Amino acid sequence: MTVSATNSDSRARNILKAIGILPVVLVLTCVLLALYEPRFLRTSNLINVLRNASFLSIISAGQMLVIIVGGFDISVGAIVALTSVSSALSMVGLASMGIESAPVIVLLGCLAGLVPAVIVGIANGFLVSVLKISPFMVTIGTMTIAAGIAGYVTGGTPIYDMPELFTREIGRGKFLELPYIVYAAGIVLMALWYMQTQTRLGRYFYAVGGNEKASRLSGLNTRKYIWLGYVLSAFLAGIVGLFLTARVGSGEATLGSNLMLESISVAVIGGVALKGGVGRIQMVALSAIFLSVLSNGMSLARIDSKYHIIIIGLVIIIAVAAESYRESRRGSNV
Amino acid sequence: MSEQARTSGIDLRALGPHLLLPLAIVAVVAIFAMLQPAMLSGDNVVNIMKQSSLFFFVACAQLVVIITRGFDLSVGANVSLVSVASSMVMTALIPSLGGTAGIVAGVAAGLAIGVSIGAVNGFLVAYGRINPFIVTLATMSIFTGVATTISGGFPIFNLPEAFSFAFNQMTILLLPIPLIIAALVAYALHFSLTRTVHGRVLYVLGDSNEVAHVGGRRVKEHLFLAYITSGVLASIAGLLMTAQTGSGEPNLGTSLVLNSIAAAVIGGASLRGGTGGISAPIYGALLIVCLSIGMNLQQINGSLQPVVIGAILIFGAALDAYRTKSR
Repeated sequence: MTVSATNSDSRARNILKAIGILPVVLVLTCVLLALYEPRFLRTSNLINVLRNASFLSIISAGQMLVIIVGGFDISVGAIVALTSVSSALSMVGLASMGIESAPVIVLLGCLAGLVPAVIVGIANGFLVSVLKISPFMVTIGTMTIAAGIAGYVTGGTPIYDMPELFTREIGRGKFLELPYIVYAAGIVLMALWYMQTQTRLGRYFYAVGGNEKASRLSGLNTRKYIWLGYVLSAFLAGIVGLFLTARVGSGEATLGSNLMLESISVAVIGGVALKGGVGRIQMVALSAIFLSVLSNGMSLARIDSKYHIIIIGLVIIIAVAAESYRESRRGSNV
Repeated sequence: MSEQARTSGIDLRALGPHLLLPLAIVAVVAIFAMLQPAMLSGDNVVNIMKQSSLFFFVACAQLVVIITRGFDLSVGANVSLVSVASSMVMTALIPSLGGTAGIVAGVAAGLAIGVSIGAVNGFLVAYGRINPFIVTLATMSIFTGVATTISGGFPIFNLPEAFSFAFNQMTILLLPIPLIIAALVAYALHFSLTRTVHGRVLYVLGDSNEVAHVGGRRVKEHLFLAYITSGVLASIAGLLMTAQTGSGEPNLGTSLVLNSIAAAVIGGASLRGGTGGISAPIYGALLIVCLSIGMNLQQINGSLQPVVIGAILIFGAALDAYRTKSR
């Protein structure tokens, strides 16, 4: 009897060790919220949470890739803004050039939005992997440049008059009750999960971040993977930019200004180690859901939005402190 | 003859890196002076002196922790919170205590906030062994939240005239007071970085964490102290900036974080730690302030100015990467 009790106890501990504390905290938060505020469980609210979590998890997935290869991407928020402005401007421009068909305009506009995003990613990757400049400095620099260009092009005013197909169908449309962004996030997460667990590419990402020198000496083209990380991060940020633009219905140079901090927070709370080489997409997704639930709960409980950043700051510190405590215990056990 | 030429050549090469920044600053000033003669007018020169002294403090706050291979993203939140809190203390106390005592209390409150923010950062970084980037990211968001919460998001007006006078408008021997305070702080910081054990430990820490621990000094305490210094320097910047704007502003420091790191790195501090002296924040602050004042005079679009700063930032970081490689 006691043996089985200790057995199950240690099994529980093993499971906890394997999945970490985050799922437990997430479930606990949800249960408490549901008890305290029944409105949390309404379908419309849950869909809302899911939508925010989808935006957050796509952009944090990119951030995760960059952090795994030992870097940072501070420029993601500015990339979102740049994508928004450039896609909106080109849609309006194409419409004024006399192109009638809305799908063509939307398709070309989305491409025009993704091009600058990928260019910023290529520039980030080049400066970090080839010129070996500190990723922090590089992405701060490209962030200010991208945000500056976005602000200059729009002159500070939002761009309206995009095709209805884009703002209504893509921005507000639903498939099986769920907004499209949720499916987009699902596809991104599945693809990254497959890459991280099943492919050589995924393992190379970890290897490069874990020990760049060793990977280079064992014949990996480390530059390629670091570069690819930044390009993917920028591309995912561009996709978030497109969906956000469709959602707000206008191209704005201030869109996504807090996504940089949020994406880094999500990655860090999801257990992605800033020293590189560690991080799993499923934990990042959970962490994105957790942050969305948390901020939704605070809004439902009518906590003033000014307190939100205080609470999120505290959550980051607690999460990281718990992680470093776990790590030091693991270190002393070995 | 040939020997003389060779020694002078070597001297030039050794001097090169040291001359680059002063020359760049002179070039920036000269170019804008040619475009806009107002650049060299008396008012503008005083303005440059004041602005760069204010900016110098945040750059210094950044330098102290960059030397230890750290970061302080919370300097901006620190400036905002100090601005709001010291203004609130002054406006609350002056009716009962009178002008001088109220101002002293406000300044003391500002400095105390600087010490406490530094202590929180330092404790988590040095004793909690958490990555400084994450720690200061979190404290940035916390203290920005506190600043907007206690002020309700609105500026705090009705600061005493004497405060603005004493910390901004006063001149001693034609030099504006912020410049004098900056010079004193620069000297003190230079002394502590180069002539004291504390300073040496910080550089060793930045070079190699292991070496510092093996070296037998109480490394954690020194690291803790570095973050407190950073917090105090940022709070001085907060007080001086409040004196300049004449009101407590909850978003006074928002743009300072990136610019302060930019200034320190352009000035020659390396994000890899272990290098950078007092000249880094001086040159960095002067260069960025001269550039932005010049661009304002030239009426360059406000959105394009960050593009220029960003390009310079990447250039400075590339220079740093090149220097490290050749070392």
